[in-house]
Amino acid sequence: MSKNISSLSSRQGIENNLFDRLVEKGEATGTVSDQDIQSLATEFLLGEGSVLSAASFYDFLKRENQGKKAYVCNGTACLVAGTQKELKENLKSQFKEDELGEICCLGRCHEAGAFQAGGINYSGLKTKDFKDFKNHTKSGREEYPIKSNLKDPLLTGKFKGYDLLENVLAQTPDSLLQEIKDSQLRGRGGAGFPAGIKWETCKNFSSDKKFIVCNADEGDPGAYTDRYLLEEQPELVLFGMMIAGYICGADTGILYIRMEYPDSLRIINDAVKKLEDSAWLGENICGSGFNFRFKVIKGAGAYICGEETALLASLEGQRPEVRVRPPFPAESGLFLKPTIVNNVETFAFIYNILEKGGANFAKVGTAKSTGSKLVSLDSTFNTPGVYEVEMGTALNVVINEFGGGFKIPVKAIQVGGPLGGVIPDHMFDSLTIDFESFKEGGFLLGHAGIVGIPESFSMAEYIEHLFEFTAAESCGKCFPCRLGSVRGQELMEKSRHENYKIDPELMNDLLEALEETSLCALGGGVPLPIKNILHYFEPELEEFFIQKEKS
Amino acid sequence: MISKRNIAYVNGVSHTFEDGENVLSFLKRINGKNSVPTLCDAPQLEAFGSCRVCSIEMSFTKDGPKKVVASCHTPLVDGAHIFPETKKIQRLRKNIVELVLTDHPLDCLTCEVNGNCELQDVAAQVGIREQRYPAGKNHLDRKKDLSHPYMTSDLSKCINCYRCVRACDEVQGEFVLSMFGRGFDSRIIKSMDTTFEDSSCVSCGACSQACPTSAISDVFFSKGIEATKKVKTICTYCGVGCNLEVNVKNDEILSIRAPEDSEVNPSHTCLKGRYAFKFYKHPDRLRTPLIRRNGKLKPASWDEAYDYIADKLKTLGENFGPDSIAGISSARCTNEENYLMQKFIRVVVGTNNIDCCARVCHAPTALGMQKSFGTGAATNSIKDLKETDLVLIVGANPTQGHPVTGAKIKQEIMKGKTLIIIDPRKIELSPFAQHHLQLRPGTNVAVLNMMAYYIIEANLQDQAFIDERCENFDLFINEIKALDMDEQEAICGVDKKEVRAAALAYAKASKAMEFHGLGVTEHSQGSKTVMLLANLAMLTGNIGKPGVGINPLRGQNNVQGAADMGVQPHQGAGYFDVTTSESQAYYKVHYGVDMPENIGFKIPEMFEAAVEKKLKALWIIGEDVVQTDPNSNFVKKAMESLELLVVQELFETETSKYAHVVLPASSFFEKSGTFTNSERRIQRVNNVVEPLSGTKPDGEIIVDIMNRMGFEQKPYKPDTMLEEISQVVPFFKGVVWDELGDMGKQWPVLEGGQDTKIIHVDSFKRGKGKFQFFNWKESQELVDNKEEYPYVLTTGRLLEHYNCGTMTRRTSNLKIKDEDILMINPKDANDKGISEEDQVKLFSARGEVILNIHITDEVKPGVLYTTFHFPELMINQITSNTHDEESMCPEYKVTSVGFEKVIL
Repeated sequence: MSKNISSLSSRQGIENNLFDRLVEKGEATGTVSDQDIQSLATEFLLGEGSVLSAASFYDFLKRENQGKKAYVCNGTACLVAGTQKELKENLKSQFKEDELGEICCLGRCHEAGAFQAGGINYSGLKTKDFKDFKNHTKSGREEYPIKSNLKDPLLTGKFKGYDLLENVLAQTPDSLLQEIKDSQLRGRGGAGFPAGIKWETCKNFSSDKKFIVCNADEGDPGAYTDRYLLEEQPELVLFGMMIAGYICGADTGILYIRMEYPDSLRIINDAVKKLEDSAWLGENICGSGFNFRFKVIKGAGAYICGEETALLASLEGQRPEVRVRPPFPAESGLFLKPTIVNNVETFAFIYNILEKGGANFAKVGTAKSTGSKLVSLDSTFNTPGVYEVEMGTALNVVINEFGGGFKIPVKAIQVGGPLGGVIPDHMFDSLTIDFESFKEGGFLLGHAGIVGIPESFSMAEYIEHLFEFTAAESCGKCFPCRLGSVRGQELMEKSRHENYKIDPELMNDLLEALEETSLCALGGGVPLPIKNILHYFEPELEEFFIQKEKS
Repeated sequence: MISKRNIAYVNGVSHTFEDGENVLSFLKRINGKNSVPTLCDAPQLEAFGSCRVCSIEMSFTKDGPKKVVASCHTPLVDGAHIFPETKKIQRLRKNIVELVLTDHPLDCLTCEVNGNCELQDVAAQVGIREQRYPAGKNHLDRKKDLSHPYMTSDLSKCINCYRCVRACDEVQGEFVLSMFGRGFDSRIIKSMDTTFEDSSCVSCGACSQACPTSAISDVFFSKGIEATKKVKTICTYCGVGCNLEVNVKNDEILSIRAPEDSEVNPSHTCLKGRYAFKFYKHPDRLRTPLIRRNGKLKPASWDEAYDYIADKLKTLGENFGPDSIAGISSARCTNEENYLMQKFIRVVVGTNNIDCCARVCHAPTALGMQKSFGTGAATNSIKDLKETDLVLIVGANPTQGHPVTGAKIKQEIMKGKTLIIIDPRKIELSPFAQHHLQLRPGTNVAVLNMMAYYIIEANLQDQAFIDERCENFDLFINEIKALDMDEQEAICGVDKKEVRAAALAYAKASKAMEFHGLGVTEHSQGSKTVMLLANLAMLTGNIGKPGVGINPLRGQNNVQGAADMGVQPHQGAGYFDVTTSESQAYYKVHYGVDMPENIGFKIPEMFEAAVEKKLKALWIIGEDVVQTDPNSNFVKKAMESLELLVVQELFETETSKYAHVVLPASSFFEKSGTFTNSERRIQRVNNVVEPLSGTKPDGEIIVDIMNRMGFEQKPYKPDTMLEEISQVVPFFKGVVWDELGDMGKQWPVLEGGQDTKIIHVDSFKRGKGKFQFFNWKESQELVDNKEEYPYVLTTGRLLEHYNCGTMTRRTSNLKIKDEDILMINPKDANDKGISEEDQVKLFSARGEVILNIHITDEVKPGVLYTTFHFPELMINQITSNTHDEESMCPEYKVTSVGFEKVIL
């Protein structure tokens, strides 16, 4: 990262945001012109190369994607569903081949066959629909079931209004922070870090400026729980961010929403506009002296922006490369100021915590994983959708009762995106939906998006897909991830298509280097599912590896 | 509360660590610099964490669970246990480096950095013996970029460590290099993905120095290990005083790098210091003394030359008295040589007619600061930039003139400190400044008085400091209060609200640091302007502590030293007034002769005296007065009037054309001694190569002539010379050649060797700091000429060239910039019907020149700007004789001119 660019970029404030401007310039043509880059560099006192190098990082801004008119989803759920080959053929009837690009992922995992065209997402279309799909200007919004096993759902009920703010803002930030800590709410972005402690850290740093950032860059294939919240419960998310601002002393909330989610962007923007027109946002809210405003930032196609430090770099107009920690964002984040970065779902819980009281919230779920969890199921299930289950609910309940079991024979599921564990079918009975159960089983709960791996799908191809995904999305900063992901993919490809067998020791060395030394959870995380597969599906994979005599 | 012990364990052995220390620097300190392999870390750069090769295992308790962390960005905590070389760590490092080698050419034997490649070292250190991956995608086919006179790249060798990108950002602050794309295919680009030649690269070479392989390098292969010797010395291209590490083989300079551990310029120089060294062996170097015979300069032996000079000086001295003889020493020579030259003129010739080129640059600084504070030297150190909150730059363009200091200033400003610029022209730093007071040339006095007015009006003065440490404040404040701001606003042409805002920012900053250059001094009110700057600092208590002060940016490498050594007509070595009997007695004790009593000629007075036939002989060391002093035609006339002109030089110059004797001197690479930089730092100049055959170091020449004229002076050796100087110059008392070390010492150096980073800490050298009021006065040049010549020309310099360019024009810098160009505001160009490709005739009351132009809003309407590096142009044919009223420093910065399009 560059402290200089952070600082120079911050000179213009969040209103005139360099990244925002880049995206705006790029939207018309799919890339940013040299002239625009040069004028932005002059305006922001940066080198031309600094701006060009940032633009070159993003799928929606890089020169190679200029002129692309439709992007086909290549996420895991669409891959295993086997829908995309046919989809591409169908799209070729409407577009030239070089007008088609790839994208990962549109969060249409429940029906697969996803693509984006003209800024609108589509999924599950039949061949006959393609003739005139461009006329479906209403947007390709889909339907999926939403259910909960809680009597009083925390995230999937009806929003009860902002009136709660009046009561809440009459309390001190300290007492609200105590409620959050009492709730034992853990961040839902994947790592499960206690939200109260993060907020307290940020609160304790004194600074003229602080930021609340909502990480709505849900890029994990298989996950669309955040998309659900952004589109169906926007008020819960905005409310949570405001409270974070009140507690930590921040007056600006930024939602970083991926361009792959056009409906989320539109709905959140509408919700913010509505808030701005009300008395619940702006200066001196409810006479409390608290000021708050929102800025919605549209992502530009880079999975790594889901990593918090890369997301902050992106917001500063820098290349979204992962930063070293410490300092943690709560101390030195956006524009080097104390910043809270939390996931959409984490913020969405705040309303209920404050309404019910932290201690009451903590009674829901398990001792260490309080509250509920949204789970999203992909199209291998009979009834794919978004389900809110109490923490501690058996995995089988999710699979069979909510998901209605699988449509086709499935040998394993991957939970928590490409960096989550791969659970073989014989272990479905042994896990419950909470952080501890998954960790003890050698997996990861993550955001609990679930993708079924069909019996017929090659596990070697699946491993190659995981390496390939990592290689495509690696920011390229740290050596193990930049190089190791490509070499891993090459090993798998060669062993699948050529007369080449992989030395298991080399594979182990590669996975160990990735897991132990990568800078962030992308390179560090992808070995988990690969190791799970190597462990649980050894016989299937034998043919790809040199078999050494067991001594 | 648990007390902090700062103890961590390495393999179970306890060590104390420093606050904020990371594991990598801790391990390097304990186990040696190369104990932990790393590819992306470099001492001049922030921890980055990309290569992961420096990973170690760490636990928070003795037998606690170990975690692998990258040591470069992991801070130490009390009680941590560190295991730097476990089996697992060895395996991990090896596996990462093996991955790196899957995308790196294995042509080490023919690689320019063979033997000095960090990748090679690390691969060896972690024990790579094989590369197990099958051939895959790679970037080995990337093409070399050899487009630039100095910089090269071969990105097939790049390992994506980002060091070059970070050096360009964190060291130079130029953002030329960036990473393009993402993941495996990400690659280094220059500007808009172009070549070095077409990029905005300023050729500082920080990237090349930072690159661990040969991916980015230079045409001199500066990372190669061909050299048999590395010599540290000091750059002569400006007053920053950069340390250079010169690679030498067979008595020939191969390349130059910046020492990593230098305090002045860690791993950094500008293109002049690092790359512009080839002049030293240029075929144009003078290699034999020349004596004018029958109107032509003819080769002669040293003995003939010395006899000729000695005879002539003796005759002239006897016939016309010692005051008919004068010397101009050089601020580019060492302290020891300057000391000798003034001693020769005062003690052997017997006159105070000694001066140097400080006269045409910072004489007003020395004078003004002496009058206000008692010492004509920077109050603080450059490193104080880290501690200041605000930087005020007046009449200087540091990124061009003092590039390493300029880059340091830029770094601080980019990171959020406040910058105020007072300059008639937009400079590179202007876009970064919160306040740029773009005044009419020649109105510094008005603007600085306005700032004082607004500070006092807002009652923001530091009254306690003023009451305790200063004098004459009541008189000053009354005068300031009586000024009419509307009148001053009209004079300087800057909105008074802008001046007020800048004044309040300066006064409110808890620490404010001022830098100034020749835009302050080269004016008819130059010395007064310096005193007004001193007023502002005293008014706000910005003196005597870290991060504040008045800090002149010296143009030449040893301007400070030349003055310290007594190369000025009114003060001898150590600044003793030549007119007092105490001083005369003091010098007599040391020199054993009666000292001359009258103040001698300043340089402009020498020219006048020559024209008037009062001055008969002039000895000039290392200054091309014909090209660089104002009103060239008058200077030429003076040269022509002399009966003896001795020019001691590296090359033939415009001045040497008039000489009776030319003496071939050695360059700074060929001699030893000391230079004193802008922050009073006395640094060792070590001879890198032997003097070019036929040349002699200036010091040796002066000693020879002193002995030839009957004064016994010991041979020129820096250690014994410094010993003599330390006995005469009080603030050099503790200076010993062998004790100066690599970093040098900042004077005053007390007996015992303790040096001084900040002066005037408890009291001013003169006792109380003195407030002085001066009102603005229009330059006589404008009063006399603005009717006929209504535009104002101001001059400055280019990054690529140094002064009259005798050295830089004889290097590849010439390929980067090869002419002086006139900057014209679009409005003025339009009025005259001039477009970018036109040439113009620029003229003044003295003369005219023809030059190419650039139309730009860098200058305001009515103001023109150019540089003075090229003898083809001789811009000083048009500058005037107007000079600073006190110090006689010429007013280069204000010339009444007219211009018109050249019709071909």
